[in-house]
Amino acid sequence: MDNFYMGIDVGSVSTNLVLIDEENNLVYKRYLRTQGRPLDILKEGIKEVKDKFGDAHILGVGTTGSGRYLASVLIGADVIKNEITCHAVAALDHNPDTRTVIEIGGQDSKIIIINDGIVVDFAMNTVCAAGTGSFLDRQALRLGMEISDFGTIALNSSNPVRIAGRCAVFAESDMIHKQQLGHNQEDIVRGLCDALVRNYLSNIAKGKYVKSPILFQGGVAANKGIREAFEIELKEEVYIPTNFDVMGAIGAAILSKDEVKEKGHTKFKGIDMCRKDYKVNPIDCNGCSNICEILEIKEDGNILARYGDKCGKWSL
Amino acid sequence: MKKIGVPRGMLYYENFPFWKDYFNEIGYEIVVSKKTNKDILDNGILNSVDEACLPVKIIHGHVDYLKDKVDYIFVPRVVSLYKREYCCPKILGLPEMIKNSIEDLPEIIDTIFDLDKRSGLESGYRDVGKYLNVSNKESSKAYKKAYSQKEKYNDWIRAELLPMNYKFRPNNINILVLGHSYNVFDDYINMGILDKLSKRNINIYTAEDLSSEHIRKFSSYTKKRLFWTHGRRIVGAANYYIMNKEIDGIIFLSSFGCGLDSVLTHMVSRQSTIYEVPFMNLTLDEQTGEAGINTRLEAFLDMMKWRDKDKSYISTFR
Repeated sequence: MDNFYMGIDVGSVSTNLVLIDEENNLVYKRYLRTQGRPLDILKEGIKEVKDKFGDAHILGVGTTGSGRYLASVLIGADVIKNEITCHAVAALDHNPDTRTVIEIGGQDSKIIIINDGIVVDFAMNTVCAAGTGSFLDRQALRLGMEISDFGTIALNSSNPVRIAGRCAVFAESDMIHKQQLGHNQEDIVRGLCDALVRNYLSNIAKGKYVKSPILFQGGVAANKGIREAFEIELKEEVYIPTNFDVMGAIGAAILSKDEVKEKGHTKFKGIDMCRKDYKVNPIDCNGCSNICEILEIKEDGNILARYGDKCGKWSL
Repeated sequence: MKKIGVPRGMLYYENFPFWKDYFNEIGYEIVVSKKTNKDILDNGILNSVDEACLPVKIIHGHVDYLKDKVDYIFVPRVVSLYKREYCCPKILGLPEMIKNSIEDLPEIIDTIFDLDKRSGLESGYRDVGKYLNVSNKESSKAYKKAYSQKEKYNDWIRAELLPMNYKFRPNNINILVLGHSYNVFDDYINMGILDKLSKRNINIYTAEDLSSEHIRKFSSYTKKRLFWTHGRRIVGAANYYIMNKEIDGIIFLSSFGCGLDSVLTHMVSRQSTIYEVPFMNLTLDEQTGEAGINTRLEAFLDMMKWRDKDKSYISTFR
């Protein structure tokens, strides 16, 4: 029977599930839109794994992404790791010589600087979403096109329009203005790609020494226009790994493998969790003026976890 | 006994023990607003100018909390604390902003402390005394008593501001938490970062641990003289700890929209790049979701452990 390790990345835009084997080969991947319902989507993903690999052994589970704690509560994870570490681990597994990882996700973007297989520096976007996937998502909506067509359309541009990239709100008004002037759609789309890359390099990558090999991961790497804009700005080749969209989950799976090997057992609750009933019950605590928003998660009516309080009164 | 309200914000974090002793000495009771909480934050945002940074908004909330509980509120206008140096413009304008933004205030003691133009702190405290009909002689006596033991400030930080169960442990990771004291020590603004570090057994260093002589000496290593007193403290502390190799990393807590921080974060990050000390800037504003801050913190600590694991590793950072 096959032995697998599972990695789950619960992000703001997508929830990704992967299975890897003992040699870190990807056996299965599933990219689901989170749609603000991480619980249901996670159950759905696990159910699909059960249907496909119901009789396989899952020896360990790792979770990452902003929903990593929630996912771990439901599933029982051996490793709960931040996205930076997971992306770096997956990038190094893909190419041990990697020096720079550019990762652009739905709500955040990061740069990871690696030297001799060790993360030596990283940065994430601060208060601004202009350098992230949701910026493109939003503009695609405005332009009335599918985000998946964005990159191909951008590549058709011969004369890109300059669009302000400092702020998503400024960019939008700039873009509308350029539309009103009558610029071609592909030139505007390309202009948006350039704007995102400019914002990324001047905001997140500021002061960092970007060296090749450069890996580009995260959902936005599907966009060919962005990749080309990066290559032009950096004057270096930018590699996109085959599984660019699930690298975080792969990293989590690899880390879970190491953890389980060291510990000798897994905390995984089993694949049948998808049959159970989960309910989230929000509580507004009125104990003090902080009025914490507490979440209570129930599994088949039993309290599984509670968190969100500052004082620890509710936490289990 | 008449009551003087001290809002728990901005300069409170670097002066409170002195203020308290001074006012007690001249016969007034001190009332400090509660620790920053959601109510105080909400009222602060509601009662202040929109463009201000979060700490300024929060101190408005603290003043609002105090206004019907005390006879006076102490919000001095601290212009300058050293010759040829200034405080941030928002600190200079603080009493004016507060008086024009919040209604039904008791009397605000907004004495000017301007050590660039006047001789010293003592004359400032004499002016404070004048508000309360206290003679110069009495004021000076109270001032001298309040400032007789400088080390009481650091005792106060250890007792009141650091996490309750915080313990220094040799051989653990040492992190310098840098930033304005009102960002470093207000655990509501920074979502309890000191607590999070302490729970992970990290040793915490702050700029406030250093004497002003050290700060003066080590801030002079910058190319150009810094004319912000608080900026000087931050840069001097960074230089001291970096050059003496006492720390494994720096976490800079900056306020969104802070003019000083926009310059200081870069000065510190450049210095830490040269000396290969990991540096991370966390920008603080109104957000309450902790996922973002936890992710960055965990990644930062992971990075340090990862570096540590491979001792033979000699960085060729550039």
